[in-house]
Amino acid sequence: MKNPGLANACAAMLRRDLTLAWRRRGDIAMPVLYALIVTMLFPFALGPEDSLLQRIAGGVILVTILLSMLLALDALFSSDIEDGSLEQLVLAPQPLALMLGMKILAHWITTALPLIVATPLLAAMLHLPAAVIPVLLLALLLATPLLSLLGAVLVALTAGTRRSGMLLALMLLPLCVPAVIFAAGAVAAAQQGLPWLAPIVWLAAALVLAVALAPLACAAALRIALDA
Amino acid sequence: MSNWIPLWLHKLSSPPTFYRFAGTLRPWMMAFALLLGAIGLYGGLVLAPPDYQQGDAYRIIFIHVPSAWMSMFIYGVMGVSAFIALVWRIKLAEVVAMESAPIGAAFTFITLVTGSLWGKPMWGTWWTWDARLTSELVLLFLYLGVIGLYHAFEDRRQGARAAAFLAIIGIINVPIVHYSVTWWNTLHQGSTVNIFGHSKIAWDMLWPLLTVTLATKFYYAASLFRRARTDLLALESGKEWVRQIAAREGKR
Amino acid sequence: MTVADPATLLLEARALSFHRQDEPVFAPLSFQLKSGELALVEGDNGSGKTTLLRILAGLLHVGDGELFWRGQPMHRDTCAGDVLFLGHQLGLKTDLSPRENLHVAAGLHGRHPEKTSATVLADIGLCGYEDEPVRRLSAGQKKRAALARLLLLPATLWLLDEPYANLDRVGIAMVNRLLEQHTAEGGAALVTSHGSVSFHGGEPRHIRMHA
Repeated sequence: MKNPGLANACAAMLRRDLTLAWRRRGDIAMPVLYALIVTMLFPFALGPEDSLLQRIAGGVILVTILLSMLLALDALFSSDIEDGSLEQLVLAPQPLALMLGMKILAHWITTALPLIVATPLLAAMLHLPAAVIPVLLLALLLATPLLSLLGAVLVALTAGTRRSGMLLALMLLPLCVPAVIFAAGAVAAAQQGLPWLAPIVWLAAALVLAVALAPLACAAALRIALDA
Repeated sequence: MSNWIPLWLHKLSSPPTFYRFAGTLRPWMMAFALLLGAIGLYGGLVLAPPDYQQGDAYRIIFIHVPSAWMSMFIYGVMGVSAFIALVWRIKLAEVVAMESAPIGAAFTFITLVTGSLWGKPMWGTWWTWDARLTSELVLLFLYLGVIGLYHAFEDRRQGARAAAFLAIIGIINVPIVHYSVTWWNTLHQGSTVNIFGHSKIAWDMLWPLLTVTLATKFYYAASLFRRARTDLLALESGKEWVRQIAAREGKR
Repeated sequence: MTVADPATLLLEARALSFHRQDEPVFAPLSFQLKSGELALVEGDNGSGKTTLLRILAGLLHVGDGELFWRGQPMHRDTCAGDVLFLGHQLGLKTDLSPRENLHVAAGLHGRHPEKTSATVLADIGLCGYEDEPVRRLSAGQKKRAALARLLLLPATLWLLDEPYANLDRVGIAMVNRLLEQHTAEGGAALVTSHGSVSFHGGEPRHIRMHA
C-alpha cells in the first residue's frame, strides 16, 4: 500500500478543481460579467456626476463583488454532490477540512481572483481616484477569501437541501456585515486621506482566524448535511 | 445524592416525560405570564408617572425593553440547546432549539418595531444605523436563517442539526457585528444613540419593567412547551407513548 | 493489506439499526465478515440495502447497535483508507477523462504499488477510452471507469452498491472476477444486488434485509 501523503492529496484536489474550472472556462467569466453589468447600472440610476460616483465607488464595488461571489458560491459543492464525488472525498483517508480548504482555494482562484483582476476596470467606470485603487485591491484580497471561507461553511450546511439560492443569501449576508464594513472603511479612509491600515489589519486578522477555523466548520457542516 | 440533578435532567430529556412535564406546567406558565403581564403593563402604562423629558412616549419601553432582553435570552437558550443537540444528539435539545427560533424571531421583530416607533418622537427618525439597532436586525436575520435552514431539509432531525450549527455560528457573529458597527459609527460620526440616557431609573418605572420581563419569560416557557409538545408528537408519531395518547384522545 | 491469517475478523455488526424520521429503516442486523469472505446483501426495494452500505462506509451515523472494525469500534480514524465505497452515484467528474478521474482518486486514497492507471484501465476494458471525457462514455463504460478504482486503490473492504447495474454480460463476469481476486488476496466485500449472481469461487454469505 502506498500512502499518497498530504501534499499529494492537496495537489490532486487543487489540480482537479482547477482543471474542471478550466474545462468550463466560460463559467469563470460569468461573475465578472455580472459585476460589470451591475456596476454599469449605478451611473444610470444615480446620474453621471463624478463627485457622487466617486464617493460611492468603493462601497458599490465591494457590494457588487460580494453579490457576484454569492451567485457563484452555490456551485461550490453542487456538482460534486450530484455525481457522488463529495462522498468519495468524505471517505478518503485524508483530513476532510484540509481537502475542503483546497476546494475553497480553487473556488476563490476561479471566481474571486477574476473579479479582483477586473476591479480596476470597475473602479474606472465609477471614477474612483487611481490612488485609492491599491487600497481597494488590498481590501479585496483580504475580504474575498474571507467571504469564500464563510460562504463555504454555509453552502456545506445547505448541501443536503434542494432550494438553496435565496436561503444562502439570507444566511450569508448577516455574516458579511463586518467584512464589508472594514473593507469599505479602509477604502473610505484612503479616499479621505486618512490612515487606512487599521481596518486592513482587522480584515487580515479575521482572515487568519477564518483560514484556521472555517475549513473545520465546513467539514463538520458537510458531515451533518450528508448524514441522511 | 449529589447526582440527582443530572439524573433528573436525563429522565426529563426523554420525550414522553417531557411531554407530560410540559403539559402539566404549561397552563401555570401561561397564567403567570398573563397575570404578571397585566400587572406590569398596568403599572407601567397607568401607575408610573410620565417622564419629565419624554412625556408618555417613553412608556413603550415596557414592551420594547423586555422584548429586546428576550430576543437575546432566547438566542442564548437556542445556542445552548443547539450545542447540546450537536454534541449529544439529544432529540429534546433539537426540539427546544428549533422551536425557540420562531418565538425569538417574534420578540426580535417586536423589539425592532417598537424601537422604531419610539425612535420617531425621541430622535426624529424611524431608524438609525446604530450598533445596537444593527445587531438586533442581524439577530433577526440569523433567526430567520435558522428557521429557513431547518425547513429546507426533508428530514427534520437533519434539518435541526444543520440549523443548530448555524445558530452556533450566529452566536459568534453577533458580538463581531456589534463591535464592527460601533467602529463604523466612529468612522462616519453618525448619530450615536444612547437608549438609556439616564442611568438612574425610578422605582415606579423599574418594578413594572421587571414584572413585564418576568411575564415574557413565563410566556416564552409556555409557548415553548406548547410548540415542543406538538413537535414531539409529530417526531415520535410511530412510538408507543404517542399511540396511547392518540387512543386516549380518540375516546373522548 | 495482505492479511496473513485468512480468517481475520474484519467487520462485525451487533444489532445494528438505523432510523429515519424515527421509522426504523431496517430491523436490527447482526453479522460478521472475515477476510476472504464475500457477502451478498439481499432485500426488496426499500429494505435499506443502500442505507446499510452507507452506514458501513461511514457516511451515515450508526443509529443503534454497534459496529466493529478489526475488533475496535468502527470510526473514521480506525478504518480510513481500508474501506472503499462505490455507490449509485459513481463519483466521476464527467468533464475529466477516466485516467484523470483515477489520478484524483489515487491522489486522495493512494494506490497499489504495482499498478498504474494505464494497466488498470486496460484491465477494466476501457482500452482506447482512457482520455475521452467521461460524459461521452456510455452508461456501462462509466460504470467500468468507476470500477477501475477498485483495482487501483488499496482497500481491504469493498462496499459495492449495485455493481452490476448497467453492465453487459462481459462486464458482469468481470465484476465477479474482480471479487474473486479480491477475496483470494484476503480482502472482503459487501455487495448489494437485485439480480441473482453466480460466483465461481465458493458460495457467498447472504445478509437478508427486512424492513
